[in-house]
Amino acid sequence: MGLLTILKKMKQKEKEVRLLMLGLDNAGKTTILKKFNGEDIDTISPTLGFNIKTLEHRGFKLNVWDVGGQRSLRSYWRNYFESTDGLIWVVDSADRMRIQDCKQELHSLLLEERLAGSTLLVFANKQDLPGSLSSEDIKKMLDLDNIKSHHWRILPCSAVTGEHLLEGIDWTIDDIASRIFTMD
Amino acid sequence: MSSDVRSASAGGKKKQGGFLSRQAKAKQLDPKEVVYEADLLRKDHVSPDDVLRLNKVTEKYLCPTEANVYGIDFTRFKLRDLDTGTVLFEVAKPPPSEEGEDGDVDQCIDDGDPNAGRFVRYQFTSHFLKLKTVGATVEFIVGDKPVTKFRMVEKHYFRERMLKCFDFEFGFCIPHSRNTVEHIYEFPTLSPEEIKDMIDHPYETRSDSFYFVEDKLIMHNKADYAYNGGTV
Repeated sequence: MGLLTILKKMKQKEKEVRLLMLGLDNAGKTTILKKFNGEDIDTISPTLGFNIKTLEHRGFKLNVWDVGGQRSLRSYWRNYFESTDGLIWVVDSADRMRIQDCKQELHSLLLEERLAGSTLLVFANKQDLPGSLSSEDIKKMLDLDNIKSHHWRILPCSAVTGEHLLEGIDWTIDDIASRIFTMD
Repeated sequence: MSSDVRSASAGGKKKQGGFLSRQAKAKQLDPKEVVYEADLLRKDHVSPDDVLRLNKVTEKYLCPTEANVYGIDFTRFKLRDLDTGTVLFEVAKPPPSEEGEDGDVDQCIDDGDPNAGRFVRYQFTSHFLKLKTVGATVEFIVGDKPVTKFRMVEKHYFRERMLKCFDFEFGFCIPHSRNTVEHIYEFPTLSPEEIKDMIDHPYETRSDSFYFVEDKLIMHNKADYAYNGGTV
C-alpha cells in the first residue's frame, strides 16, 4: 500500500458528504429522511426550517439537510448551498398540477454557482400512490435530459415503503466519491 | 461547515482510525493548548476554539442568559436506540410529554435561580451504558432575526475524562423557524469497570453544551447524568 493509497483512504475516512434535500412543499423530503434512518413516519408535519441528520453510512460521514419547501421558505434555500456535494431533488409524483413549478425551481437551482459541482439525484417519490407519474414521465416533464451541468439520475421511490431510497443515496455517494475522493 | 464527533476511550483501544488519523487526534489534544475556565470567565466573548480547548467540565456558566438575543429555544429532546428502533427518552416543552420507560428528567425550576432552565438532570437506567448506536435529536426554535453561523459544541465527561465531543455547525437559521438535528453515533466503548464506576457515581457524568452565533458564545447549558435509576 503506497502513501497515496493511505492518504486517499484517510481522506475518505475523514471526508464528510453533505447532501441537500430540496423540493416543493409536501414532496416528502422529511419522510424520506426519516424512513432512511429507520424512524417513525406516522406524524410528520410541514418543515418550517430544516431537519438535519448526521450519520455514518458505508464509512462516510453523511450530513443530510432537509429544508422546508413552502414558497415562503424557498428564498432561504440559498443559505444552504455552500459545500453541498449532492443535491437530492424530491418530486411528488402524484402532484401533476405543480409539475411545472417543480421544473422551474429545479432548473433555477442548477444555475446556482455554489451547486455547480454537486451530483443531482431526483427522487420521483410517492410511487405507492395510484395515479402517480412514472419516473420516465417525470424525467421528460422536468426536462432532465437537457441537464449537462451536473451528473444526474432519476429514481422512482416511495418514502412510505422505502423502495429505492437506499439505492438512490448509494448512487449519490458513489458519484460524489468518484468525483471528489479520487486523487488523480 | 464542520461536523465532528470525537470520542475518547482512555484505557480502552480506539476502535478505528489509522496512524495518520490518530496523529490528527493527538494534535487536537495538545496539552499546551489547554485553556482554563478562569481564563474564559474573564473574556468578553468566548469562542468555539476556547471551549474546545477546555479539558474538563465547567463549574460556572461562560455567558449570561441575556447573551441569547436571538430567541433560540430548545423545545424537544429525543434519544432513540437504532439497534432496536425504540425511543428511549423524549421530552418536549410545552406541554411535557409522558416520560419514557428508561429515563426521567428533572428540569430545575426555581424562580430565585438565574440559571434555572440552563441545567438538566437526567436519571437513566444502567441499560443506557450498553447501547451501541443512538440517535440524539434536538429541536429548537428561532426568533424574529435570522441567525448566521450557528454552531454547537457539546462535551461529555465522566469525572476528568472526556467521553465525547460533538462539534457541529448548523450555519444559517431562518427567522421564526423550527428546526431539528439528529446526530446518529456510536456510543463510546466503555469497559465493564468504567460502566460500574459510572453507575456507582451518579451525577459525576456531566456535560456542557455551548452554542455560538458568529463564533460568540450565546448559550451555555449543562446537564448531569445518573445511571442507577430503576431496574433493568
